[in-house]
Amino acid sequence: MFESVEEVQQRFRGAHYIASRRIATVVFLAARMGRPVLVEGPAGVGKTELAKTLSEVTARPLIRMQCYEGLDEGKALYEWKYAKQLLYTQLLRDRIGELIADAPSLPEAVSRIAGQDDAFFSYRFLSPRPLLQAIRSDDPVVLLVDEIDKAEPEFEAFLLEVLSDFQVSIPELGTVKARHVPLVVLTSNNARELSDGLKRRCLHLFIDFPAPGDELEIIRLKVPEIPERLARAVVAAVQKIRTLDLRKPPSVSESIDWARSLVILNAQALDPALMESTLTLLVKYEKDLERVKAGLDKILAEVPS
Amino acid sequence: MEERILEFIGDLRRAEMRISTSEALDALAAAAEIGLTDRDTFRTTLATTLVKEARDLETVDRLFNLYFLDLQALGEGVKKALGPEDPRVHEMLDRLVDEENLQLDELTELLMRGQGSEMEMAIRAGGQHAGLERLMYFLQVGYFSRRIADQFDWTAIEQDVERIMALLEARGLDPGQLARIRNYLELRLEAFRRMIRQHVERELERRAYRAGERLTREVLSEKPLFALTPDEVAQMRGVVARLARRIKDALALRQRQEQRGRLDTRRTIRRSLSYGGVPMEVFLRRRHRDKPKLVTICDVSDSVRNASRFMLQLVWSLQECFSRVRSYVFVSEIAEVTQAFRETQVERAIEWALKGAPVDYHCRSDFGYAFSRFAHTELESLDRKTTILVLGDARNNYNDPQAWALRLIRERVKGIIWLNPEGQWGWGIGDSVMPLYAPACDIVRECRTIGQLGEVVDNLVHRWWRRGH
Repeated sequence: MFESVEEVQQRFRGAHYIASRRIATVVFLAARMGRPVLVEGPAGVGKTELAKTLSEVTARPLIRMQCYEGLDEGKALYEWKYAKQLLYTQLLRDRIGELIADAPSLPEAVSRIAGQDDAFFSYRFLSPRPLLQAIRSDDPVVLLVDEIDKAEPEFEAFLLEVLSDFQVSIPELGTVKARHVPLVVLTSNNARELSDGLKRRCLHLFIDFPAPGDELEIIRLKVPEIPERLARAVVAAVQKIRTLDLRKPPSVSESIDWARSLVILNAQALDPALMESTLTLLVKYEKDLERVKAGLDKILAEVPS
Repeated sequence: MEERILEFIGDLRRAEMRISTSEALDALAAAAEIGLTDRDTFRTTLATTLVKEARDLETVDRLFNLYFLDLQALGEGVKKALGPEDPRVHEMLDRLVDEENLQLDELTELLMRGQGSEMEMAIRAGGQHAGLERLMYFLQVGYFSRRIADQFDWTAIEQDVERIMALLEARGLDPGQLARIRNYLELRLEAFRRMIRQHVERELERRAYRAGERLTREVLSEKPLFALTPDEVAQMRGVVARLARRIKDALALRQRQEQRGRLDTRRTIRRSLSYGGVPMEVFLRRRHRDKPKLVTICDVSDSVRNASRFMLQLVWSLQECFSRVRSYVFVSEIAEVTQAFRETQVERAIEWALKGAPVDYHCRSDFGYAFSRFAHTELESLDRKTTILVLGDARNNYNDPQAWALRLIRERVKGIIWLNPEGQWGWGIGDSVMPLYAPACDIVRECRTIGQLGEVVDNLVHRWWRRGH
C-alpha cells in the first residue's frame, strides 16, 4: 500500500492533509502491520480527518461508526430484520402448512420446519451495521471508529474482540471472517480512560496542535486565496492565543475558519478592531473571549506585519 | 538490535511504565519494518507501539536519548571536551608513528586519533565487563567509573606517551614544542577519564530514571503534613495529582459493573406492539446512580493548613466524580470559597482560599461558632444526597463546642466524614473536643499523612457512595 514513510507524507499532502513525520510513520506502520491506530489529541486537530484522508489516498471506501453512550452490538454489528421475518412467515403461512401437512407426528413436523431454518436466518434478513459491513466487504475498507471514549466500557471490550481477529460469529449463520483486514482508525478525546486491552491492541498516536510551520502550510492549503502576509499573521496570532490559559484553546479547524472569514472580509492585515469582531470564530467560551480581549495588544505585538 | 530494544523496554518498565509482552513484540516487529535509517522515525516507531498514554511520551523521549545515544551529537560534544584540535601536533604525531613503525597500545591509538564515537564505544564495551547493570545509586558512580577505567591499561598508555616523547626529543624538537605535545596528549587522556564518568552518570540516569523522585514521593507520603517545608509542599502537589489520577482511573474500571438494570416494562411493551405483542426486544432500565454532592468544610488555621490544602486539591481534582462540590473555609468565621474554584485553576484557588478568603486568619479556631453559623445560613441547601467532609483538628481553644449544630446538620445530610490531621492519641486531650463531635459523624479518621488522606478519599469515592443508601 505504501512503500515508505516519505510516500505516506507525499500522498497525504496530495490529498490536502499535512502529515507530520510522526503521523506518517504511524500510518505506515499501521498499514504494514495491519494494526488499528488509536488517535488521541485535543478536539479539532484532524483526528477524524486523518481517517478520511487515509481512505482517500488508498482509494478504499470509508465506513464510519460514530460512538455514543448506549451504542450496543445491535447498532454496531448486525440486527435481524424481525419485522420482515414476521411478515414473510405470515405471507408464507400456506406453504408452511403444506410442508407439515402430511407429517405423521409432531416431532417430525418440528424437524421439517427446522430444516427450513436457512430460509429465514440468512443474509436476506440481516441488516449489517458498520462493523459487519467492514468485515464482510468485498473490497478492502477503512473503518473509522469515532470517539470511542463516548461508548461504554462493555462495548469497548466487544470491539476489542472484533479487532483482534477480525471475525465475528453470528449464532445462526456461523463465523464471518474478514476477507481483507480493514485499516482501522479509532479516535478518542480522552473523556474517560480506555481499557488497557484496547490500547495494547492498537498503535498509539497523539496528535497535538501543529507547529507554526505546519499550521501555516495547512492554512495555505485549505484557504488557497489567502494573502501570504495575512496567513502568517493568522498563524502567529493563533499560536499565541493557544499559550493563554484558555478553557478551550482554538484548534486547527478553528484557525482555518477564522482565516476563511478574514478572506471573505477582504482583510489584508490584522488590527485590533478586526480581531475583536471576528474573535468569536476562534474562541467559544465567554470567559475565554474576555481573556483573549484583555491580552489583545500582547498578541498583536507578536504578529508580524 | 533486538536485544537493545528489549533492554530499552526494561528501562521504560523501571520508569514505572506498564508494557506488556505483546507490546514488546509489536515494537520488535515494527522496528523490523522501519529499519534503522532514521533516528526520529525509529523513535516514533518505538513510541507508537510501546506508549499508550500521551503523558508518558516525555519520559520515552528522554530515555530514548539516553539509551540510543545520538552518536553524531555525542561526537560533537566530545570534540568540544577534548579541546581545540591542534592539526600540526596531530600531523606530527601521525608522521612519527608511521616513520618509526611504532607498536602502540590500542587505547593510545584511540586517544591520538580517535573520534568521540569510537571512544564512547570503547567505554561502553568496558562498562559491560565492569558489571554496570548493578548500578543503582549515585554513590556508586565513582566506583563504577574506576572499574571501567581499570579495564584499560593505563601503564601501557603512559609508557607509550613516554616513548613518543623520547623519540620526539631525539628528533631534536625544542622544549616549547615538546611541552605543547605533552600537554595535548595529557589533555586527551584527561578528557577520556571524564568521558568514562559521564558515561556512568548517563547510565545511572537511564537505569534509575526518576527513581529519586519516586523515593521522595514515598518518603513524603509518610511524613506528617504539619511538618512539611514549603519546598516539600510544592513537590507534594505532584504527588496529590498522581493520587487523584489513580483514584479516577480505578473509577473508570468500576463503571463497567454498574451498567446492569431491571426490566424497563414500558419500553419493552411499547416495542413488542410491532411484533404482535411478542416481546422480541427487551429493554433494561439503567440503574441510575446519582453522583454525590460534596460539601467540604476546612479549618485553615496555621496548624492544619497543609492538610486542608491537599484535601482541597484532591477533592477538586476529582470533581467529575461528584455532581457538585462546594467548599467552605473557616477559622472562626466561615466563608464559602466555591466560586474561586470555578473561575481559576485549582492550585490558584487553593492559595486564595488559604490566604485571601473573607475570614480572619489571625484569630483562634472556633469550631463551635463556625458550625453554628453554617447551620444557620446553609442548612436549607443541604439534602440527603450531600456528604459533608470536615477537615480539622477539633482544637477549639476552650470555646463552646456547640455540638448541637453538627448534630442538626447531620440530620439533613447523607453523612458527615471527619478527617483529623492530628494523631488519634491526642483526641480529647487538652482543648481537643473531638469526642464531642464524633457521635454526630459517620466516619472519623486520622489523616496525618498524604498516604492516609489518599486512602480516605479513595474509600470515599469507591465505597461510601456505593453502600445501599
